[in-house]
Amino acid sequence: MILYTPMQLELVIDGIEEMRPPSCREICIGGVQMLVEDVGSGSVRVVKLLSTDPGHYLLPDYKPGNIIDIYRLSQVKCDSG
Amino acid sequence: MPDRKKDEKPGIHMQSPEIDPDPAIVPEHNPDYPAEPGNPDDEGSPRNPRRVQGRPKGGGIEALKELGSTPLPEIKSNIHCLSIVGQIEGHLVLPPQNKTTKYEHIIPQLVALEQANEIEGVLMILNTVGGDVEAGLAIAEMVASMSKPTVSIVLGGGHSIGVPVACSADYSFIAETASMTIHPIRLNGLVIGVPQTYEYLDKMQDRVVRFVTGHSKVTAEDFRELMFRTGELARDIGTVLIGKEAVEKGLIDEVGALGQAVAKLKQLIEESKRGKEVPLQ
Repeated sequence: MILYTPMQLELVIDGIEEMRPPSCREICIGGVQMLVEDVGSGSVRVVKLLSTDPGHYLLPDYKPGNIIDIYRLSQVKCDSG
Repeated sequence: MPDRKKDEKPGIHMQSPEIDPDPAIVPEHNPDYPAEPGNPDDEGSPRNPRRVQGRPKGGGIEALKELGSTPLPEIKSNIHCLSIVGQIEGHLVLPPQNKTTKYEHIIPQLVALEQANEIEGVLMILNTVGGDVEAGLAIAEMVASMSKPTVSIVLGGGHSIGVPVACSADYSFIAETASMTIHPIRLNGLVIGVPQTYEYLDKMQDRVVRFVTGHSKVTAEDFRELMFRTGELARDIGTVLIGKEAVEKGLIDEVGALGQAVAKLKQLIEESKRGKEVPLQ
């Protein structure tokens, strides 16, 4: 990988040694397959989408970095069902 | 002095509604029944129950309370805005102090945009400090090969690998104050975990130069001259082009920002629609 940037490289890659790979798991929310990382209290952070439907990538709720409350989602599902 | 119950404390007493007042409840105004408390037909009930009828305002109040923002009116737009900000993140996840644009998310988005019937044009907004060469070139190639009209605006900065991304659109704009840094890959860029040779980096650089010269009016000689110019940058060789200068070099089509870009995109959409129409014989 080659970084091509006018920014000082020390600033860009500062802390890269301490970075640990996120403990991801694969889940399916609303029919969208994605990799998520647990952030506690029943919420997950989207790491990346795995879906092959390009339309899913335009959904603002499933942008990488977005936090999804899966506990609340499951409640909603129980109420409606 | 009016009669008062013994346990009641002296003072002004409000008539309390049957439900707690809540900003999320709006009263329903029925033009046939003005909300008067003393309707003589209602016997024995001084409070009209209609007064407390209401409906929740939807998500508006929540958005205001939680985020301090007012809900936006829903407008279905025929253009899609794609923003490329911060570092273009490639094969390596960058530390969290970087603002990044993830190419693995942008690329399927471009596929969806190419396919979506309701999207007629793409407006790309760039404020990037460069990033991964291959990720940047991948986005640039995807945008360049789209059949729908694309317009890019460089706001703030479109440096290094942001240059080919800006050029990839059908028509490009640069804000008057925006800047673009053009510099060689080998001096500032670092190869992480790759055995590098001068030739390897030179090849990478050629890819960038070929793309930029193929998608803008700048010639390869001019672009290389800008890339290797000395005495302009403090820590590096290369050039910073600001607004008008980028247009003069032929890298960008026009100086302008939002208004001009949206107008141009509309014009390109109209032209592409007209081009698709089969001429009547």
